[in-house]
Amino acid sequence: MAGFLINGVSKVYGGTTPTETLVDIDLTIEDGEFLSILGPSGCGKSTLLEILAGLQLPTSGEIWFEGKKLQGPGIERGVVFQDPSLYPWRTVMQNVELGLELRHKNKVERKLAAQKYLDMVGLQGFENKYPHHLSGGMKQRAGLARALANSPEVLLMDEPFGAVDHLTRLQLQDDLLRIWEAEKKTVVFVTHDVSEAVFLGDRVVLLSPRPGRINKIFRVPNKHPRKRDDIELLKIQNDIYAAIHEVKTQENLEFII
Amino acid sequence: MGNKTTAHYNWRMISGQIALLLLILGAIEYIVSAEIVGSLYLSRPTLVIKEIIRLFAEGEIFHHLSVTLWEFLVGYVLSAAAGIGTGMFLVLIPRAETFFKPFLSALLAVPKVTIIPMLMLWLGIGLSNKIAIVFLFCFFTIAFNTITGIKQTADNHLKVARVFEATKLQTIIKVILPSAAPTIFVALRLSAATGLVGALFGEMIASKDGLGNLLVQATSLYDTTKAFAIITIVTIVSVLIIALIDLFEKKIVLKWKSS
Ligand SMILES: Nc1ncnc2c1ncn2[C@@H]1O[C@H](COP(=O)(O)OP(=O)(O)OP(=O)(O)O)[C@@H](O)[C@H]1O
Ligand SMILES: [Mg+2]
Repeated sequence: MAGFLINGVSKVYGGTTPTETLVDIDLTIEDGEFLSILGPSGCGKSTLLEILAGLQLPTSGEIWFEGKKLQGPGIERGVVFQDPSLYPWRTVMQNVELGLELRHKNKVERKLAAQKYLDMVGLQGFENKYPHHLSGGMKQRAGLARALANSPEVLLMDEPFGAVDHLTRLQLQDDLLRIWEAEKKTVVFVTHDVSEAVFLGDRVVLLSPRPGRINKIFRVPNKHPRKRDDIELLKIQNDIYAAIHEVKTQENLEFII
Repeated sequence: MGNKTTAHYNWRMISGQIALLLLILGAIEYIVSAEIVGSLYLSRPTLVIKEIIRLFAEGEIFHHLSVTLWEFLVGYVLSAAAGIGTGMFLVLIPRAETFFKPFLSALLAVPKVTIIPMLMLWLGIGLSNKIAIVFLFCFFTIAFNTITGIKQTADNHLKVARVFEATKLQTIIKVILPSAAPTIFVALRLSAATGLVGALFGEMIASKDGLGNLLVQATSLYDTTKAFAIITIVTIVSVLIIALIDLFEKKIVLKWKSS
């Protein structure tokens, strides 16, 4: 049961001018669900994801994962970061092997797992390249393979496709869905792109601008594979835009329209 | 620019540089042999080359060369180990840096050469004195660069390690050291040159042998040719040491930086 129960979570960053970042988040994430988290820049999406990853502690409230209170990072929760964060001194293969290496898996086992996921994300032939030889999209694929290689039950993804061009992005979305269907994982996918959130997610959680609160949750009932121009998806997108428009009291909203 | 053009361009550049070097050496050869400048002040390059050959052929140089290299090597290796160790200790132990930084900065501020007479008093004028001087010349640069390098470790790289539940030791070995390596190597390269200077300087002030000692002997006998021969040898040694460190860095540590 790789689900989360998020209970009244708030986050205030300390320092000279404390920033209220998340306010009173209540959310249940189902096992096997693909959940999109949508919100404007600076609303606390990365913060929420890092709390789920155990990299940060909430200021108040608690998180339950698999029926246990969440205390810190754990390898059953893989993270794909906003910038790919590959180690530049390791080859692509060595990067993907990292988690297994840290857990003292033997060489053969490491190679096999790494190769399987490198093939799955379409990086065969780039095993021995260093990250600075890869394009942005390929780096994100490598980051995804690195997370997958540890067979996590949950994938926490932070705007993984934010920095790649549109066509690559569509391709990466398709590939991610294919992997998700094959591997049956719980995915929490942060984005600020409305169409991406709707195309991928079973549910879309819309956060309000900073400080982030849950504005509304949208269910996307359509079965995968979906079509991007599906009329129902477009309708949900419109509903989301309407909800965004309602709270557009502040300027500087950075949704992609 | 195509490869062929680049190669061609490089070849022309290098031949031009060699031509200029020969021109300068030729000019010195001329002004000394024509006695425009006295042979006390400068020496004819041809004589210097002959002197270098003589020093090696008669074997005089080998003893001094090995003394200097040994002083340098021991002092340098010790300072590298201690410098990297101290740097790691200060950053990785919470509050250690805050506590020790004023002491370290104060020590850093002491002009190292002023300690040399003290070192003679404490350690005599032999090997241990020179090792201490080399150590003093190298240690701080290496320690401070290690601190800087470790602090530059990307936050996200550390987060990746935490997500994978890396232990503290694994994080140090697999993340922190590799990412600090380029900065540490800058210090290793810099202090290789200053360390050699330290050994030579120590020898020039007080010693029984070593290249620095040989140089002082030559100048006190007004043997300008021999002095220039030793200067040339020392320069070549310095270049070779740095080339060796560069090679080490490229082949072993920073494979990923080169293409
Ligand atoms: N370590 C930190 N210390 C202090 N403030 C922080 C820290 N991390 C984030 N913040 C602040 O918290 C707020 C939310 O940051 P967060 O990175 O979670 O936003 P985001 O929704 O992921 O934005 P983006 O879409 O631009 O990535 C921002 O105002 C940011 O300045
Ligand atoms: Mg973010």
